[in-house]
Amino acid sequence: MTLSNYRPTGLWKFLAVLVLGVVAAACDSMDATPDPVPLEVQLASNVEADPVLGRDPVTGAPSSFNRYSLYDLEGGAVVVSSSEGDAATRRRDSSATVWDVGFKGTTIILNGGESGPGGAAAQIMTETFASVLEAPEGGYMADGENPNCPAVETPVGPVPGKPLAVCTGSGNGWYNYDGQTNLILPIPGRTIVLRTAEGNYAKMRILSYYKDNPDIPSADTPSRYYTFEYIVQPDGSRNLETTIES
Amino acid sequence: MIIRPFLATLILALAVRCADAQPRPAREDYLRTIELEPIVVTAARAAETLGSVTVPTTVVGAQSMQEQGAVRLTDVLANIAGLALVDDHGTGLQVQGFAPDYTLVLLNGEPIIGRTAGTLDLSRLSVNGLDRVEVVRGPSSSLYGSEALAGVVNLVSRAPEEGYGGKLGLRLGSYGTTNATTELAGTQGLVGARLLVNRFASSGYDLTPASYGQTAPAFEDWTADLRARGRLSERLVLRLGARGTSENQHGAFAALDGNRVERRFDSEGRRSDWSVHPELDLNVANGLRLTATLYAARYMTEVTHRRQDDAVVSYRDDFDQHYRKAELQLDASWRAHHLTTAGGGVIRERIGGDRYEAGSGAARPSASQAYAFFQHLWDLPGHVKVVASARYDAHSEYAARFTPRLSMLVRPSERLRLRASVGSGFKAPAFRQLYVAYTNPAAGYSVFGTTQVRGGIERLRADGQIEQLFFAVSTLEEISAERSMAVNAGGSADPFPWLAVSLNGFYNDVHDLIETQPIARKTNGQFVFGYFNLARIYTRGAEASATIRPMRQGRTRLAIRLGYQYLQARDRDLVSALQSGTVFGRDPDGREYRLGLRQYAGMFGRSPHSATLGASVLVAPLNLMANLRGRWRSRYGYRDLDGNALANRNDEFVGDYGVFDVTLSRRFDFPFSSETQLQLGAHNLFDITRPEFVPSLPGRRVFAALHLSL
Repeated sequence: MTLSNYRPTGLWKFLAVLVLGVVAAACDSMDATPDPVPLEVQLASNVEADPVLGRDPVTGAPSSFNRYSLYDLEGGAVVVSSSEGDAATRRRDSSATVWDVGFKGTTIILNGGESGPGGAAAQIMTETFASVLEAPEGGYMADGENPNCPAVETPVGPVPGKPLAVCTGSGNGWYNYDGQTNLILPIPGRTIVLRTAEGNYAKMRILSYYKDNPDIPSADTPSRYYTFEYIVQPDGSRNLETTIES
Repeated sequence: MIIRPFLATLILALAVRCADAQPRPAREDYLRTIELEPIVVTAARAAETLGSVTVPTTVVGAQSMQEQGAVRLTDVLANIAGLALVDDHGTGLQVQGFAPDYTLVLLNGEPIIGRTAGTLDLSRLSVNGLDRVEVVRGPSSSLYGSEALAGVVNLVSRAPEEGYGGKLGLRLGSYGTTNATTELAGTQGLVGARLLVNRFASSGYDLTPASYGQTAPAFEDWTADLRARGRLSERLVLRLGARGTSENQHGAFAALDGNRVERRFDSEGRRSDWSVHPELDLNVANGLRLTATLYAARYMTEVTHRRQDDAVVSYRDDFDQHYRKAELQLDASWRAHHLTTAGGGVIRERIGGDRYEAGSGAARPSASQAYAFFQHLWDLPGHVKVVASARYDAHSEYAARFTPRLSMLVRPSERLRLRASVGSGFKAPAFRQLYVAYTNPAAGYSVFGTTQVRGGIERLRADGQIEQLFFAVSTLEEISAERSMAVNAGGSADPFPWLAVSLNGFYNDVHDLIETQPIARKTNGQFVFGYFNLARIYTRGAEASATIRPMRQGRTRLAIRLGYQYLQARDRDLVSALQSGTVFGRDPDGREYRLGLRQYAGMFGRSPHSATLGASVLVAPLNLMANLRGRWRSRYGYRDLDGNALANRNDEFVGDYGVFDVTLSRRFDFPFSSETQLQLGAHNLFDITRPEFVPSLPGRRVFAALHLSL
């Protein structure tokens, strides 16, 4: 419903086919020269997103640090964990462009706009991860700039959501909340295409919100542990075609 | 896979039918019973023959229930074509693809109360003492108001017989199941009464031995039922019905505590409910009848979880529901072909319990309702019958509803009846949707019913727990009842003396389904939820049934009943998302693919195909009756694992399965007894279980029963 903004129009499909064709043709013609930088799908497992530490003994309410874990896509590592409590260390390690994506609970932030000093910006494409072979030229939004975040539908009309690049809320961004099973599940066919803080193009998809990426999580499985896949193109181009089969 | 035994049985049944094709010599036929057409009262709030109703109606009579060895209402309904039993806080009924919340369950025309999360647990209800169970499909809100959106199930008690008599029944079965019934009845002159006491108990069963605790707990259930009638004068009849039940449950389970350590708990459940139903029937004048009804019911439950190591009560929840109703109904039959019915009444309900009183202080939420209904029935015998009805419900907590229905029956020939009806149905917001005020201690979110939102948000705001309010609470609109428009069309035919077939197509368009939506974000990152009229669904399909009586008149008789339903139940938002190509699936290996409308298997818990089979054989010389029943349902979506809110992967479905039951009954001559019957039976003959998905389906069970009539 709210993602109708991303509905693939005939034109879009046409362009996608065109791009595919051109890329395929380009690949054929480049057969002779080896690719300078191999692109491989990177897997990040169990990235802590401020997991619940315990329960308040009186109210039973969950408690956590209420801090982000910050992840560097180019480096493939967490640079600041949500468990890092020292303010000076956090400040030092989160400065400038060392991190690209931050996770806290279901909220995903990017190092740019209102969330950080970098130049990161993103858009969610309603396409499978594998089929996004080239990052679009435009359409990226930094945190704080996204006017499209689905409003919360209320009887008195829509109320705008938080203007993050990856919108918050069930069905609005990267996940669906299932009220029957109380599970947070990544929506398939939602590919986050982004510019990293350093200006490289990348695509990512979230695979799991649960520890160790179980096939069938239960409400008892520890949550707020992201598993996600991504590809970063370090040469500055928008080409996101995998050149190494994983 | 499971369809195979089903088909095998079907083929066997048909083979038996073919074997009977040769003409038989007529025999002396002392077995001939005059087959009276069943009388039903639910479809039009008036007595009609089953063949002359204008809306799809199914009846199961006492004799058939007895032949099947049915003990609880679930046993009876499971074998009716097109109905499915679903597990959700008890065993409820799915009619035309609707969740159990949307079917009204009546006892002698008055609502049985006590639903948990929308489900009225049908295994609560003993069928002892019933004359018949009537099931009407399609909306009947124009006569019965809320909840009669998908259908109505009416349990009709047997009237006290002439003279004095008594019945004893005892049944013993697997899993320590016992069912004992005592019945006393007497009619003297103008007064008659029947008292029934039933005890039903079981030690429960365990489908998952690897995990601690039984799947179904041990329980002991008592039912007492009184039906009395007195003719006060030539014109005045007083009827009184009263029923009380009580159940105790004992179970145990294991759960992870806050430190992820497994802890064991004992679970105790108590339930008691009663209803009293006096009714005065006055024959005002020739053709004019006035019925005055009072009905009071109460339903109470209490659940306690106690930690085994230190006996600390970890959870306690109670619920208390009161229901009072007064109603007048006037029936006027005139000029032989017309019956006009008008009536109205008032209802008062009050609920209490841990989840409802917390938010509203000491006051128990209560609601009142007034309604009026009107029906005109025009019957041209043998040709056409038209019934128009409408009802207006005004309620203290939600917007008033007007629900009309028009239905008709056309008989082009003696052997063909065509039916069509158009009507609307509605379902009132549930108690939780109106009154709940609940904050989940584990997850930290809050939910408020529509009457609690303002106060709840104010309290949270005063506590500094609200980070962002999405909209001003003062602008909230009054919640509406969920409503539907439905069309049913079909008919029944008896092309040959040995064959009766019926077919009904249905379409239900449902609006304003109530869903939770966030109202505010809390400082702990969780949401405050409220209830709003949002979702739209539709269900459509067709039910078909056939009764084949290849051997109708001999000393051996055979009857075969076949039923089938095709069902499509769909969420309109998902349909348009699928059409726009924005829905994908993801396999466990990470492969993603786009889904189209053709991949939509429908709403969770709905089987597109389902079938029933019943066969009964009477061997008169041996006083022997054999009854075989089977029901099969195709696979249905159960859960979402890949985040697209629908079932598309194999591991998101429950595979198809079929369940077969068999009962053998034999009559004996026994001193002091007018009738003695011994019964042996087996439920779930092929021992089919789905431990993870269908906890209410235990494995094979056998039983032996003895019935004495004095």
